[in-house]
Amino acid sequence: MSKVRALFEKYQALFYVLILAVLCAVPFLLPKALYVRYACNILMYATLAGSLNIINGYSGQTCLGQAGFFAIGAYTMAALSTNFGVSFWLLLPLSGLLAALVGLLVSLPTLKLKGIYLSIVTLGASEIIRIIAQTWTPVTGGAMGIKQIPYPQLFGLDTFRPKYYYFIFLFIGVVFLFVTKRVLASRVGRSWIAIREDEIAAKSLGVQTSFYKSLNFMYGAFWAGVVGCAYAPFVNYIEASQFTTDTGFNVLAMIVIGGQGTLIGPIVGSTIVTLLTESLRFLESWRYVIYAVLIIAMMWLRPQGIAGASNSILAGGKIKRKPAAAGGKGGASHG
Amino acid sequence: MKKLFTLLLALVLVLSLFALPASAQSKGVIKLGGLAPLTGNYAEYGKGFQIGWQMALDEINAAGGANGYLLEIDVKDSQGDTVVSSTMATAFAEDEEIMAILGDFTSGACKANASIVDRYGVVQLSPTASAPDYASMSPFCFSIMGRQDGEAPYLATYVLKKYLGVTKVAVIRVDSDWGLSCFENFKVQADIEGLEVTEEKYKSDETDFSSIITKAKLSDPEVLVVMDQGAAVSAIFNAADSAGWDIKHVALGPGTSEQVVSQLMTPDNIIVTSPFFFDPQNAELTKWKEEFAGKAGFDPTVHPACAYDTMYLIKTAIENIGDGEITRDAIRAALQDVEMVGITGRIKFEPSGDIQRDYMICGVENGEWKVLEGFDYVNQ
Amino acid sequence: MEYFLNQLVNGLSQGAIYALMAIGYSVIVGVVGMVTFTYGEIMMIGAFGAYYVFQFVGVNLPLALLAAFASSFVLGIIVYKLCYERFFNAPRHISLLCTIGFSMLIKNLVQIVFGPEAKPVLNIIDNRTFSIPLGGAVSIDLKLLQIVIMALVVVLAVTLTLFFNRTKSGVALRAVSQNKEAAYLMGINVKRTAMLGNCIGCGFGGIAGILLAIYYYTISTTTWGGFSMKAFSASVLGGLVDLRMSALGGLFIGIIENLGITISSATFRDMFAFGFLILMLVIRPQGFASKKGSRV
Repeated sequence: MSKVRALFEKYQALFYVLILAVLCAVPFLLPKALYVRYACNILMYATLAGSLNIINGYSGQTCLGQAGFFAIGAYTMAALSTNFGVSFWLLLPLSGLLAALVGLLVSLPTLKLKGIYLSIVTLGASEIIRIIAQTWTPVTGGAMGIKQIPYPQLFGLDTFRPKYYYFIFLFIGVVFLFVTKRVLASRVGRSWIAIREDEIAAKSLGVQTSFYKSLNFMYGAFWAGVVGCAYAPFVNYIEASQFTTDTGFNVLAMIVIGGQGTLIGPIVGSTIVTLLTESLRFLESWRYVIYAVLIIAMMWLRPQGIAGASNSILAGGKIKRKPAAAGGKGGASHG
Repeated sequence: MKKLFTLLLALVLVLSLFALPASAQSKGVIKLGGLAPLTGNYAEYGKGFQIGWQMALDEINAAGGANGYLLEIDVKDSQGDTVVSSTMATAFAEDEEIMAILGDFTSGACKANASIVDRYGVVQLSPTASAPDYASMSPFCFSIMGRQDGEAPYLATYVLKKYLGVTKVAVIRVDSDWGLSCFENFKVQADIEGLEVTEEKYKSDETDFSSIITKAKLSDPEVLVVMDQGAAVSAIFNAADSAGWDIKHVALGPGTSEQVVSQLMTPDNIIVTSPFFFDPQNAELTKWKEEFAGKAGFDPTVHPACAYDTMYLIKTAIENIGDGEITRDAIRAALQDVEMVGITGRIKFEPSGDIQRDYMICGVENGEWKVLEGFDYVNQ
Repeated sequence: MEYFLNQLVNGLSQGAIYALMAIGYSVIVGVVGMVTFTYGEIMMIGAFGAYYVFQFVGVNLPLALLAAFASSFVLGIIVYKLCYERFFNAPRHISLLCTIGFSMLIKNLVQIVFGPEAKPVLNIIDNRTFSIPLGGAVSIDLKLLQIVIMALVVVLAVTLTLFFNRTKSGVALRAVSQNKEAAYLMGINVKRTAMLGNCIGCGFGGIAGILLAIYYYTISTTTWGGFSMKAFSASVLGGLVDLRMSALGGLFIGIIENLGITISSATFRDMFAFGFLILMLVIRPQGFASKKGSRV
């Protein structure tokens, strides 16, 4: 294992180019548009899960409302492109920025809160966003939703075809990973991780926790908005019922299964959840029963997820180390 | 343990390969794709679809098929999720053996699939898509739910004004694309008829209607109209009853659903507009109703009946193609011109791909639906 | 005026059910120290337990309530073993996801076993309305159903309070709820007590479930996630572990939702509930509870 790692570190750049080349070849290697569509779904959810991982995995705040930020991005794109014909590529950052702004708004009341109190605020905010989407008819189409969202332009390619749309998701995914890797290595990222591992210690060491927590929310929301922007034309029709809390839970399941606190975790999670739910189709209505059992089994066997950060507080290493009767620390705390 | 998990996963994946249905290559079989939410919040309707389609299919095949072709349907679970439904629609559209797609249940999924079926040139015939702007999205999109610019004005003119002779109406409706379209069409006609209308709306997952009822009561209406197709119809009327509000109940949407009757506290007080009715005198329909209930474990609503009819529509379309080659385009063209009477009534598509139904006024007597005024009421 | 009072009554009776849900929820969160997202399904199982009593025994409300309590209680054991016991010292999101998985499991199993359609629950309590004059021309309408439900909620809440204060197990439960380590040192079997507490909370959820079913005349298999959210919100409002405050939180949410509907539209119901919750948390992060961070 260590040899492989050493080899990897030596030729890191080469490896990345190689992986990227393989990923670029994927849509041409897969025989059916259906399979490419699966690949698109995987990439889309991988980046969305990645954006949630920024919040849950790196700063340790349990956000349950990612569906809300996702919805902001999707509606921004759909409303502006169908009404004003704004270009997809301009909307991509704009959707992200709007979502980040909402992320800031959501983060403000959560600064004083911790744990589950924070979670319920994010959940509530996500539901409020959905209700606004359902009722603000002039902008969001209200109950009618927004249909026939124009497909993005991509070098004159027909992006209706999953084969080409794949590259939009791939582009977003790669940029996300590239930027996030840099952010995480910076002072900002290190502050997030410090907050995750021990907020009080981080604070005492001079980390402006409030500032970095807000920034963390905004950054996570930004990417959820960007993915939402790519989602809207991909499904071609959006309505409020697509952004329920179940969507948020689904993405949460992906990062917990794949592993939080690593960049690869959400990608693994998205791949496994997508492929698993598809491959279990033969079970018909028993499919989600089995899927649910697998989720619980996963938590028992490998709580840090398949590719989670095993050297972190997230790994739940304390499950085995300490006796059960410990103080209130493991519970929902507020402060 | 980790290995065990991996092994389990691998096993599941391998098993899934075996489970793929063996494709019948024999001549004379026409394959159809079915999209239905078999799991999730719409599972009840998805199951209804599946059973409705299968019942029709078994009958057709037992009777020698559609013009000699046997029919086959592959039903895929769309979970009521737009992304999943579109992925499954792509799977069907790409499979050249699939001649037409039946489904999906929600308008949202159908609208999202419209661009896919349009591009691949395959029919998407939805039993229940009720959004007013769905069918016109592509020549390949069809729905037999019935347009609301027919039923809603019928309700205003014939049920409220002419049959009940009332002037003050409280409407409680679901805030969905369908509910909105119902109400808008209704309002236009109600203004013409000089009805006084108040409107209350609620989200599709609402469960508590007591405050809406109290609110609706305020205007002191003569009749309470509910526009919804699901469980909310009975929930609202029950809430009105339990508030001790003695008022006539009128519903637009559920049709002569057996389930609504079984869920109501005072079923005899309800009046609905409906394109069809399970006539107890009609042995065939009664048999259908009982067979469905036996297979599903619950009474049919209008939805599985519509699903049943979509299968017969495809059959009729294939018969109308006659000796010509059965292609997706041929089915589309034939479907556009089909005229048949199904268990949900007369079906003939308009150029847009949805249908205008004829309606009658139905009520309940001793727990059984009965026709109060038939289709000819409009002509009287 | 009369109209607003009637809406207030609507809000109160809905709030009473929220309160009962919240009490059960708070008991669970208190003793287990972790939040749950499977509470909705626990309520559903309770409702189904009682439903089958109505089906096979007939309309026998006490027996039905007992069945609801028992079936949710038993389910509580499974939830505890699967989702909490192992994860007491693990990060919160692990047991959280376990409960999400478990809720998915139960919801889908129920749809397969009991069928996905909504079941009617009719004529359990006589449909009668009392008009109570408040002097002058003003009077409010009170349904027998609303009276029964409010009375039941009060009786159950008082019973639970007595149990917590007057019995040995109850005191042990409170000890575990306040400080697991200290309770452990006092010789309390923390794991067993936590399980008992969880099951009692679940049992209350089950009773809330059947009351919801009676109040709305139906048991659906899909609406429980929403109720679970309301229980959660009410419980958070009350500071998560304080039973009386949680009950108050439930009442408040019920009233605010219904008054909100009175001035706007039912489509905004959840906006009022969550908006109020967020506002409260901003102003008073500890909710209605007086002591800050004293428990859990």
